[in-house]
This record gives sequence, C-alpha cells and structure tokens, in this order.
Amino acid sequence: MIKLKRAVGSTLFAITLSLSLSTAPAFAKKADDTLRVAMAEEILNLDYNYTTKREYIILAQMTDASLFDVDPKTQEIVPSVASGYKFIDDKTLDVTLRTNVKFHDGSVLNAEDVAYTYNWIIDPKSESNATGIIGRWLDRVEVTGANTLRFHMKAVYPLALRDMAQRIMLRKKDTYNPGGVVNKNAMAQKVNGTGPYKVTSFKPGQEVVLERFDGFFGPKPAIKKIIVRNIPDIGTQQAELMAGGVDWMFNVPLDLAQSLGATPIAKHLSGPDLRVSFVVLDAAGYTDPKGPLTKVEVRRAINYALNKSEMAKFLIGGSAEGIHTACHPAQFGCDQKSVDYPYNPAKAKEMLKAAGYPNGFPLDLWAYREKPVAEAVAADLTAAGIKVNLRYVKLESLDQARANKQISAYIGTWGSGGTADTAAIARIHFSDETDRNLSGDAQLNKDVLAAEQTNDENKRRELYTKAIGRIADQAYWAPLFTYSANYLVSPELNFPLDSDGLPRLQNASWK
Amino acid sequence: MLRYILLRGALALAVAFTVSLAAFLLLNVATDPARAIAGEDATPEVVQTIRVRYGLDQPMPVRYAQWLGGVVQGDFGESYYWHKPVAELVAERAGVTIALALAAMAVTILIAIPLGVLAALNPNSWIDRTALGVAVSAQAVPNFWLGLIMIILFSVTFPIFPVSGDATWMHFVLPAFVLGATSVPAVMRLTRTGLIEVMGADYIRTARSKGYRGASLLWRHALRNALLPVISVLAVQLGQKFGGSVITESIFALNGLGRLALESILGADIPTVQMLIFVFAIVFVVMNLLADILNAALDPRIRIG
Repeated sequence: MIKLKRAVGSTLFAITLSLSLSTAPAFAKKADDTLRVAMAEEILNLDYNYTTKREYIILAQMTDASLFDVDPKTQEIVPSVASGYKFIDDKTLDVTLRTNVKFHDGSVLNAEDVAYTYNWIIDPKSESNATGIIGRWLDRVEVTGANTLRFHMKAVYPLALRDMAQRIMLRKKDTYNPGGVVNKNAMAQKVNGTGPYKVTSFKPGQEVVLERFDGFFGPKPAIKKIIVRNIPDIGTQQAELMAGGVDWMFNVPLDLAQSLGATPIAKHLSGPDLRVSFVVLDAAGYTDPKGPLTKVEVRRAINYALNKSEMAKFLIGGSAEGIHTACHPAQFGCDQKSVDYPYNPAKAKEMLKAAGYPNGFPLDLWAYREKPVAEAVAADLTAAGIKVNLRYVKLESLDQARANKQISAYIGTWGSGGTADTAAIARIHFSDETDRNLSGDAQLNKDVLAAEQTNDENKRRELYTKAIGRIADQAYWAPLFTYSANYLVSPELNFPLDSDGLPRLQNASWK
Repeated sequence: MLRYILLRGALALAVAFTVSLAAFLLLNVATDPARAIAGEDATPEVVQTIRVRYGLDQPMPVRYAQWLGGVVQGDFGESYYWHKPVAELVAERAGVTIALALAAMAVTILIAIPLGVLAALNPNSWIDRTALGVAVSAQAVPNFWLGLIMIILFSVTFPIFPVSGDATWMHFVLPAFVLGATSVPAVMRLTRTGLIEVMGADYIRTARSKGYRGASLLWRHALRNALLPVISVLAVQLGQKFGGSVITESIFALNGLGRLALESILGADIPTVQMLIFVFAIVFVVMNLLADILNAALDPRIRIG
C-alpha cells in the first residue's frame, strides 16, 4: 500500500513537472525584444480612417504616419510626411511632401496618394469616421506637382493642421475604390500604412503583431516587435502581467495600479490626460424656465459646494487635480485667471438661502460613468442642502434625455480627442449646434464660433479668455477635475508619458 | 418518431424567432446602437454618419423585416463591428465554444458521476456528506471568482497552465474546469439518487443471488439503469454550456461565441446579437429534443410521438 502511494505520488509529480516545463509561458521583455501589450477593447479594424476609439488611436500611431504630427514634448504641430507648408491665404494651404516616405509594401508615397486620401475622406460616399471632422473645413485637395499639393478650405479653420495630424491616415491612390468599386473595408484587416511599425499578423479580437518597419522615414523605434493582445478582463490582464505574458497595461483602476505597482513585478506610472470632468447645469431653464438653476447665485453655490480637489485626490489619484475652468489647463486658450469657487459648503448654504432656497431644492442629477464620482458629487450637494436624486444611466439614455431637453444637471467628461486646444472642448459644449449646450447664452455661442474663424492666435486667445471667463462667472458648469492615466508596466520598460495623455508605444524602449 | 422530430424542429424555429424578436426590441429600446458603435467621445456628426451607414435611421419594424427577409434566404447580415457576414463570424468562433463545452462536459462527467456513485454506495457516511458538500460548494461559488482563483493558483503561483488565450489544448484545461464545475452538483445528486433507488430494486437482488458482486454488479446492472435520467440532464446541460460560456470565455480571453455575444451586446452590434440568440435558442431546443430521443432509445418503457 505504501509502495502504491509512493508510485502514485511520484507519477503525479512527474506529470505536473513535465506539464509546467512544456507549457511555461513565453516571457516577453528584452530577451526577445518583444513588447506585449494588453488591451480590453477588441481590435477589429486596423484602419483608423474608419474607427474612433482610443485603442485604435494608439494602434494608428504605430502603423500610420500623417502629413503632420504632434510633438509630444511641446504639443506643437510639426511636419511629418510633409516636409514643409505655407498658408497662401487664410483658406489656402500649400504642402510639400518628403520624397522618402514608403508604404509598408515598399512603394513610395506621392502627391496623388495624399490628394486621393483627403478627397476620399471628405466625399460623403466614403462614410469615413473622419468625414464630418475634415469635411467641415476642407473643400478639396489639388495636386500641384510630383510632391506638392494645395488644400482649398471652405472657411478659415485654425485647427486644420491639428486635424490633419491626428485624424487622416494616408493611403495609396484608389485604395478604397479600386476599379471604381467602393470598398470601405479595404484596409480593415490588412493595413498598408507609412508608420514606424507594420502589421505582420492580425487575428481580429485576439491579437495584432507588429514589427519595426525598416523603411520608415523617421526615427526608428527602439523595440523590434510589439504584440497587442485583447484580454477583456482586467483581472486576467493582471494575471498575465504577473506571469510575464504581458508588459504593459493601461486604463488600470487606481487601487490595482497602486497595489501591483508596489511589488517588484510591475511599475505603476501615472500620467496626465486631457480628459476633464464637470457638472453641466441647465442655466437656460429648458427643464424649468423659472427653476433654481436659472439663477446665477444658485449655480455659484453649487460650485462652492463641491470638494473637487479631494475628489481628484481620492477617487482618481495620480496626477489628477481639481480645476475651475471649462477646459483643461494644458489647452491653448484655457485661461486660468477666470473666477474660482473654492470649496466652501457653508458659503454654498448661505448663497442658496440668499437666493431664496433656505431649505435647498430637489435636483435630478444624471450620470453615466464612474459611479463613485457621481455619488461624491451628490453627497456634497446634499450636504449643502440640495435634495439630489442621482440618476445613474447608460450613456445612450443620457444622450436621448439631453437631446429631448429633459436634463437639469448631468456629470460629463470630455477627452478633447487628445487635442491641446480649447476649440476641442468649447464648440461641442457651448455652441448652438449641439444639445450639450445648456447655457442658452447667445453671446457665448458667438465667441466660441468666432475663435475658430481666425488663424490669429492672439485673437483666438482673447476670444477664449472672454468665453471661459463668462462660463466661470455665470457658473454654467461646475468644473470638477482632470484625469490621470494609470499604467502598469514591466520594470524593464521605459515608457515616456506625454502631456496630452496619448500613449505612444512607438517611443517605448528597454532599460 | 419522425413526426415527433419534425414537430419539435418546427417548435425550435418558432422559439428561435420569438426570442430573436424580443432581443431585437430590447436592444433597440435599451440603447442607441449608433452611439454605442461610435463611442463616448464621438461628435454628433460621427454618430449620425454611423446611424445612416448601418441603416439605423430607419424605423424598427422596417429593420426587423429586412433582417427576417435576409434570414429566410440564409443571409444573417453583416456585423457592424467586424464588417463581415455574421454567419462567417459565428462559424469562425463556434469551434472554440464547442471545444470548451465538450471539455466542460467531460469535466462534469469525470467529477460528478464517480462522486455520485461513491455517495450512493456509502449513503449517510462521511463520503456521502463530503460529496454533497463538494456539490453545494460548486453550486455556490461564482464562476468568475473560481476562474480567477484557478488562474492565480495554476497559472501564476504554479505556472502549469497558460493564463489566457486559446492557442493550444492546454489553454482549455482551466476554463473547462471552471465551466464544468457549475454542472457537477445537479449531475452528482441525480447519479446518487438514481443509483440508491436502483440498488434497492428487485432485479439487483436477483443479480446478487446469481453471484454478481462489486464492480461487475455496478457496471453491468445498476449503473446503466441509474444513469438514464442523468444522460438526458447532460444533454440539456450541454446546450446550456453554449450559452453559459460568456463569463468563462471573457476571463480566459477565449475567442468563442460567449465572448462574441458579450462584445456584441455591449457594442449594440445588432445583427451579430440576433444571430447568436437564434443559434443558442436552436441549440438549446435541439439538445432538449436529443435528450428526449435518447431517453426513448435507452428505455423501451418510454414512447414518444
């Protein structure tokens, strides 16, 4: 019996050992110069001209190069595929191309390819996700030489170069309509870009394998191979990081980032993000024409009631901080001299009393993400005497209610598409073109639109100072805080954090 | 029998269509598909572009009628996300879910039936109590927790199995265990009860008097009768595995139908959701039918049709 037990035990041990040796995970890192990246969102389409989400921007940064680029250190727009540019007048832009830009198939990019790409994107039949953005200001692109083009704009638009830098990925001529037959999915599964990495394998929803492209015209990335793995569950991503199957995670919850970052297994990086959070108040009275939110004293009281800095510190962490402007402090035109309402619940109560609400008033507060933040806001307002009914819903429901003018107050966030310019947040929230504008302020609408109708930076800054100042003075919003992006990375990895919050994996390197 | 099968087949189709209609209505009422596809930071122009691109600006009855018209011709439409025919998408991923479901059933059988037999042969003993305890625990433990614990133990602490993915057969061991564990209690209890009942039957006494003992009594006479109800339960459980693999596939990053269903629902990819619901409903009804047929085939006392 004892011999039998020993035999069984030995056999089991041998099986376990051989299994563990035969199936030990392939560790990434320096040894094979391969960076393994985890993303929860499934990558289904390699063509950023037809997608919008954050994960696709990260991928497009690696596979594609655009006419211009954003310098990560200065956030200035610099030529990339373009070697130079000149505004002939406010609505005409001449661009000169480099002559050494190659697609991943080895062919050389020329002016015809660039003109084709832009003219295709603005064509409504392209149904590109970028059509609305570029089509708003671009009329057509004309080839003026083998490597020169002329962009004809419909109107003055100061963010033209930025849109070109961030939104349009260059394609070879006739990519989307070979032989006249439209094929919007031409690059969805197999992209032929001009970026520092080329895709060597793509299993939609599972994995994208990228290898350094030796024909890239710019600085060569330090890491040879990057594998993007789709792992939907954050716990599984964590396990992969601990087991060595992954070297980089992003959008990591703060508590997980802090706890795992405190171990030798991983390093917690906390970087800035252009996303901001805010409470929008129905100052125009769409839900109640004579309601409390139509009174500026009430809206100011709401601002005083909110402890933004503690929300930033304890609920978001990292580099998150409280803000008092309807824009991110790093954005061009975001004047920080506008009025601030520092946390003061006693003053909030006093102001409500003076406004005729000594016992507060009922308020439906809508939210669709980050429930702890919504609950913190509701708690602060309740402490000031406002009877908050928190309506935590899906984004689609909030959108519909807002479009129907049924929302008196909601908590929103905006990432500005990583654009460090107030235009990226102001127009969408304060112009009359959008249902997000609950201010009802016609002058504000004019100022916000005017700031996009001139290329004069001083004039733009002046207009935004006026607009941001008015928003703060009238307390149309209660700005809350900026966000912080949390990453968990291998201790062997150098991963630079840029001020616009965009992860640029192509700039990573091994220690 | 043939008439019975045809009737049940027609019923399966009716159930599938009813369920798909309910799902279509719920998806369109609960969410704005265009917004879900476009993402949170998309501008109104982008959302509208997507709405028009996928025909989401048309009235719901028109869209459902179009879908139904396509289905009767074998065309389930194109996925909004994947930009490929939904039927192709489902066919690509079905293999992983089928493999996982079969592996999970194997786990269930290998654990539940021996446990049930042991418990039945030693009623009210510590073996019986332990087996029942295992069954209750397996039922109580949430499978997402079990999945993560298995990963921590057998992929991180003792790196025997891979954490996630579906590249090799080793990738299926932990998920199969997690998914199979959920069916262990029901199968174990049914095996135990069935065997206790059979062991008290007259024909078992007769078999004993003829000299059958131990394993030969169990295998040749008792078990084959005790397992009759278990087989039909297993057939139903197999059908449930197809639809119930969502959490397991998400935790282990298996690219199967369960994960596809989750991603499609979250992304309001209506054509894909429609087809998946249709497929799951058909599978479930077919498995129930198979269970009935198996029962009739194994037990001459049962007649169907």
